[in-house]
Amino acid sequence: MTAGSEPARYADPYLAGVGLGLVLLASYVVAGRGLGASGAFASAAGGLVQAVSPAYAAANGYFSRYVGPGVSVWQDWLVLEIIGACFGGWLSARLAGRVRWEAERGADVTIPARLMFAVLGGAAMGIGAVLARGCTSGQALTGGALLSVGSWIFMLTAFAGAYALSPLIRGAWR
Amino acid sequence: MTRGLAAAALLLGGLAGIAGQPVATARGEIDVNHLASTIARERDHVDAIDLARWIRDGKQGLRVVDVRPPAQFENYRLPAAENIPLDKLGLAVFAPSDTVVLYSGGGAHAAQAWVLLRALGLRQVFFLSGGLDEWVNDVMRPLLPDDATPGEKAAFQSTAGISRYFGGTPRTGPRPAAGSTDGTDAAARLKRRGC
Amino acid sequence: MTGSSLFVPLTVGLAFGVALERAGLGSARKLIGQFTLTDFTVFKVMFSAIVTAMLGSFWLGRLGLIDLSAVYVPETYVLPQAIGGLVFGIGFVVSGLCPGTSCVAAASGRIDGLAVVGGIFVGILGTGLAFPSIQSFYDSTSRGTWLLPDVFHLSYGAAVLVIVLIALGGFRLVEYLECRP
Repeated sequence: MTAGSEPARYADPYLAGVGLGLVLLASYVVAGRGLGASGAFASAAGGLVQAVSPAYAAANGYFSRYVGPGVSVWQDWLVLEIIGACFGGWLSARLAGRVRWEAERGADVTIPARLMFAVLGGAAMGIGAVLARGCTSGQALTGGALLSVGSWIFMLTAFAGAYALSPLIRGAWR
Repeated sequence: MTRGLAAAALLLGGLAGIAGQPVATARGEIDVNHLASTIARERDHVDAIDLARWIRDGKQGLRVVDVRPPAQFENYRLPAAENIPLDKLGLAVFAPSDTVVLYSGGGAHAAQAWVLLRALGLRQVFFLSGGLDEWVNDVMRPLLPDDATPGEKAAFQSTAGISRYFGGTPRTGPRPAAGSTDGTDAAARLKRRGC
Repeated sequence: MTGSSLFVPLTVGLAFGVALERAGLGSARKLIGQFTLTDFTVFKVMFSAIVTAMLGSFWLGRLGLIDLSAVYVPETYVLPQAIGGLVFGIGFVVSGLCPGTSCVAAASGRIDGLAVVGGIFVGILGTGLAFPSIQSFYDSTSRGTWLLPDVFHLSYGAAVLVIVLIALGGFRLVEYLECRP
């Protein structure tokens, strides 16, 4: 982190939300589909499985949806979108002076503990995203704006699950 | 700024509630003379037997459309039929290469739907003029009259074959009384009954 | 895909990443604030985005500028999405990030973001490998393309209005909660 430069303030959440909504809308118009994230992870996982055993990948009921003979993971729409998002996230952070090596955590939490919870929580989200056919980007945002019932069910139960457990994690973020 | 956005959202949302559907109104153009001539030359409809042949032979691009309400469609439908209720017809998407055959119970709604789809620009559209009734009578239970001519008997072979393909039951019996559906008879009945 | 069609997802993704980072959603601390009820950025951003895209798509469709029926709508699988949502939500609050924001966090140098990315990958990989045992549940309670207007017997536009009102009401409530610590 370069010395002497203050990181910029975050944008107003409503304006940022409208901006995000316009990106989502542009995606509907130009690509006929909305945003996503977990699907890219599924393609990546499928790609790994296929690299180890193409026969198994083709026979697996889940991975066969994402990979197959002649289907390159690198040409998958969501994979490219997530690569773009990584770059966009970095670019925005760079311009705002917010790029730094850090493990964000509460004052009482060690880095190993934080990383362990990060991995475990991530794994749970992976399981949930498979079952729900998406995550906050693909279901709550994209499907939510298109009034899909399943997307709203996902959104509500996800918030419910998060709030149900929130008292337990309060101490980790002082 | 955010107050303005909220007001805009409220306005657009309110108007959306009034507008109802996120589709533009379907506008159609009717060339009355052209349509009238098509109707007069009987190029607007197909016989049940012809439709049956198309379905059996897997005619390329064939779309058999039932314009009745979904409950009636669930109750009984033609083979290969899809249900697009009349009031949703404007929202349906057809390819230029499709051959659309519309049907309804008696044929009236299908004939009206024909005019609507022609107005929207579809060229290859037909309807089953006698509706489901015609299908049941001519395909599922075709009748070979007892006094049929040899020519009629020969033609019936083909009809019976198609009927059996669809699980129908060809039958023989007395020829139906001539003029039983004659228009002048119906008018006479009306006169006796009064309006 | 051709060169130009590689361009679309990359550009959309870029804008997506920028929007998330600008909003501060690349920070686990900020996201967790939603669940400790100290920072309502998540709610504000999500629902502003949903309302914007929803109104935008409705009106573009209504004006005949796009064919809304040609846009892909995720199908509904009631139970898997309900249970999946619960599990996802638990993971969200334990990790502090979600799939999209974890990528933004990682790209900003956050090691915890990188760890969440790894965790999600492992979770999806494991679930995919175990797929045969969950497949019947995964495929259950399918309702196809099922929209809120159909469930509540409203026109599409009326459902849009209701969601706008809920969102605006939510924003009012959240502003109030933020003003009294």
